[in-house]
Amino acid sequence: MTTDRRPLLLMTPALLWLTALMVIPCALILVLAFFRRGIYGGIEYTWTLENLALVFDPLYFRIFLKSAGIAGLSAAIACVLGYAAAYAIAAMPRRRQPTLLFFAVLPFWSNYLVRTYAWIVLLNREGLIVNIARWLGYNGELPSMLYTEQTVIVGLVYNYLPFVILACYAPLSRMNPEVTEASRDLGASAWTTFRRITLPMTVPGIATGFVFVFVLSIGNFVTPALLGGGQFQMIGNLVYAQFLTANDWPFGAALSMVLILVMLGLLMAQAVVAERASNGKGQSDG
Amino acid sequence: MTQAFLSIRNVEKYFSAVKAVDDVSLDIRENEFFALLGASGSGKTTLLRMLAGFESLSGGDILIEGSSIANMQPNQRPVNLMFQSYALFPHMTVAQNIAYGLEMEKLPKAEITERVNAILDVIQLSHLAKRKPDQLSGGQRQRVALARALVKRPKVLLLDEPLGALDKKLRSEMQLELKRLQHEFGITFIMVTHDQEEALVMADRIAIMRDGALLQVGSPKDIYELPGSRYAADFIGVMNFLKVKRTDNGFAAPDGTAIATAHVSDGVGEGDAIAAVRPERLFLGDAGDNHFDGTVSDIAYHGLDLLLHVETELSDTPVVARMTADVADNHRPEIGQRITLGWLARDTHIFPA
Amino acid sequence: MADRNTFRLMLLILGLVFAFLYIPISVLVGLSFNEGGLPTAWTGFSVKWYGSLLEDADILKAAGNTLIVAVSSTILATILGTLLAVGVEIRRRNGKWLETIIFAPMIIPDIVLAIALLSMFSLLNIKMGLHTITVSHVVFNLAFVCAVVRARLKSFDWSIVEASADLGASTMITLYRVVIPVLMPAIVAGGLLAFTLSVDEFIIAFFTAGAGRSSITLPMQIFAMIRFGVTPEINALATIVISVSVVALALSQRLNKGGLPGQ
Ligand SMILES: Nc1ncnc2c1ncn2[C@@H]1O[C@H](COP(=O)(O)OP(=O)(O)OP(=O)(O)O)[C@@H](O)[C@H]1O
Ligand SMILES: [Mg+2]
Repeated sequence: MTTDRRPLLLMTPALLWLTALMVIPCALILVLAFFRRGIYGGIEYTWTLENLALVFDPLYFRIFLKSAGIAGLSAAIACVLGYAAAYAIAAMPRRRQPTLLFFAVLPFWSNYLVRTYAWIVLLNREGLIVNIARWLGYNGELPSMLYTEQTVIVGLVYNYLPFVILACYAPLSRMNPEVTEASRDLGASAWTTFRRITLPMTVPGIATGFVFVFVLSIGNFVTPALLGGGQFQMIGNLVYAQFLTANDWPFGAALSMVLILVMLGLLMAQAVVAERASNGKGQSDG
Repeated sequence: MTQAFLSIRNVEKYFSAVKAVDDVSLDIRENEFFALLGASGSGKTTLLRMLAGFESLSGGDILIEGSSIANMQPNQRPVNLMFQSYALFPHMTVAQNIAYGLEMEKLPKAEITERVNAILDVIQLSHLAKRKPDQLSGGQRQRVALARALVKRPKVLLLDEPLGALDKKLRSEMQLELKRLQHEFGITFIMVTHDQEEALVMADRIAIMRDGALLQVGSPKDIYELPGSRYAADFIGVMNFLKVKRTDNGFAAPDGTAIATAHVSDGVGEGDAIAAVRPERLFLGDAGDNHFDGTVSDIAYHGLDLLLHVETELSDTPVVARMTADVADNHRPEIGQRITLGWLARDTHIFPA
Repeated sequence: MADRNTFRLMLLILGLVFAFLYIPISVLVGLSFNEGGLPTAWTGFSVKWYGSLLEDADILKAAGNTLIVAVSSTILATILGTLLAVGVEIRRRNGKWLETIIFAPMIIPDIVLAIALLSMFSLLNIKMGLHTITVSHVVFNLAFVCAVVRARLKSFDWSIVEASADLGASTMITLYRVVIPVLMPAIVAGGLLAFTLSVDEFIIAFFTAGAGRSSITLPMQIFAMIRFGVTPEINALATIVISVSVVALALSQRLNKGGLPGQ
């Protein structure tokens, strides 16, 4: 039938756009990763695996591991807080939930730089926290609150928490309340009900939240740059440096490639979790 | 007198200003199959949820074998609820769903397995033990939900419209099945239903609820044959309501014909009243204690039976008369024909207008 | 039975989480109105820091650039994203690949997309500037518009399309007279979302702006300022940027109940 071709016609401009400005550039990165760096920072078109090998050089791989550690910790903390918040929202009266959710997610859509900057305002040496401490009569030396690994983690959690709340709220709000009541009815305590019924049924939301925070954190550039201080490096900053200061594009491309692979792996894992859960979705879906 | 098995005493429930359950008192016997019948919003689910422990009581008390369960948590009550939505755990298999309640009792693994297998046999779902709920049909889910509650051998099993989601054929099969299981397990059943026919078929006793209060409690036979109010008469089965007037020595139709009756309900005063008679109690001809004339407006066949719709001055809507087809064969009425319908005084109930 | 203590615990959790989410931003906004500009003491309400923004030529230039990029990329993305959404939903059975390509712009780490675009533009010897930022922003913006419009299309009654065809309208007229008007709230909501995303986007703009200061955008300007430390001007600028996002988002939400991606 002719109608089959018309939707494709509608899709073509956007798909061409995405191909030209996302698929091809990303493919280019993959290719670039296998070329050699030219002497003056350009690209020499001979194949090599050196860039990839360099990623696994202890010097750089340590940064990779540190980034992964920070991203993992941030994602874990965000998941705990976000799940608790989503659970609390879902426990409120139905008609209040959309508003609560809206305000929980609102910060997520405001400027990332500004949100990160807000922590500098709060934590810097002349910042509010220090002032409050002084006002309370504490005049001693305060531990450095800015430019530490912990600050970077706080910043990442802060920036991505709304996303986790959103991801966890979806399955929680879709749960049939009679299912948890059935568990209580069959003799389970409130805690057992949470552990054996609510949590397993909402794991896909947590998995989605975790993967997104992890992926967005491990490649993050702004938060480490602003909250971690000048010397603090995560993969994102390393990539940035290869392109804008060190001028070693092939190595930067190789780093990005590994980043993309990690991301794809995690997204696939998350898809598997979602798939498994949807096998037993049953009555809860609407 | 022996103490009641389950005793509901002056129970009330308010949802802020809404009175969902209004001073309900009810004694239920051991091993009884009890049906709660009522229109939508009459408070049936709320009452069941109070028994199961999911709603607090605004007033009154609930006792099982003499001791109050009103302040017990749902997971400590010897009562199980089969939810209207079935509420199966979607991430667990059929067997895991059924085992869940037994695991909560901390029974040994071997016993759990044994009891789960036994009940799977009873509900004939052994071959589906490893399936997840969303891979089951509606009827199968219903049986799993039933098994999950039954396997705990509660003192009382509460069922909230257990057959509501099933189609008509499956429904009547499951009605028999439920009766059988109740006998087999010897458990007290309290079943909520919308469907008066279902209640008549299945229950030992029926309670009719209206606006949160109990209107009438009795055996199916009592409720059907001796409805205590116009509402109950209307709610159970089909009932014809005829306009009558009180006279000095009884009741009469508008044209003055006397109407003999054996049942006059409370509250019938001077002036207008309503006479009620079941369609199957009407017959052709003027042989009975009472009779009226009318015009046949419609004839409907219901298998062996014939439903005549008869227009008469006694009622704004056509009166329905049910007769077996062979009776009607002899002198089958035709649409538009004037006929006389008769009935007996003992089948006549008078209610306030 | 709604356990009162559990409910209190839930309220406590909500209180703490909302405090965590809103205190940093509120402090920032509050300080932007502090006459003295310092967190040490409240010296009185003032909008003078906003006034000083208006005198800063760099900031005005950056704001102008941001507006150009945001408006043009929003228009392009809204058109492309809407057509894409309609096409995808009519077609129904779309392969995994297609879905991935449509979804990818929303989740790909921005640094990766940024360097990929930078590499391509420089290898092709394309001179970079506002135009490259714009076309790059369209990439993720069209994906978001598409997601919002698709969410709306899920509840779209396709029989009205058939009815329109039945009444003699061609496909294009049906699209123009029936489909687009019904989708309008979602399209505008998606456009508003795209606008805020573009106004706020930093990294991709940073990498695809080219050398020099001529095509610097507001977030790039803010980033540069932040590196010098906390100033009252940044607080004021940040407050304005937040307000723009909040207003656009509230409008978007109002137009399109519950239609933000992921919601
Ligand atoms: N959680 C609640 N909050 C407020 N009102 C409620 C609540 N639950 C029930 N009600 C009200 O209490 C009344 C009785 O409701 P209930 O669910 O018990 O009726 P029902 O007899 O089970 O009806 P149905 O046959 O439709 O299931 C109704 O008016 C209902 O609106
Ligand atoms: Mg009910």
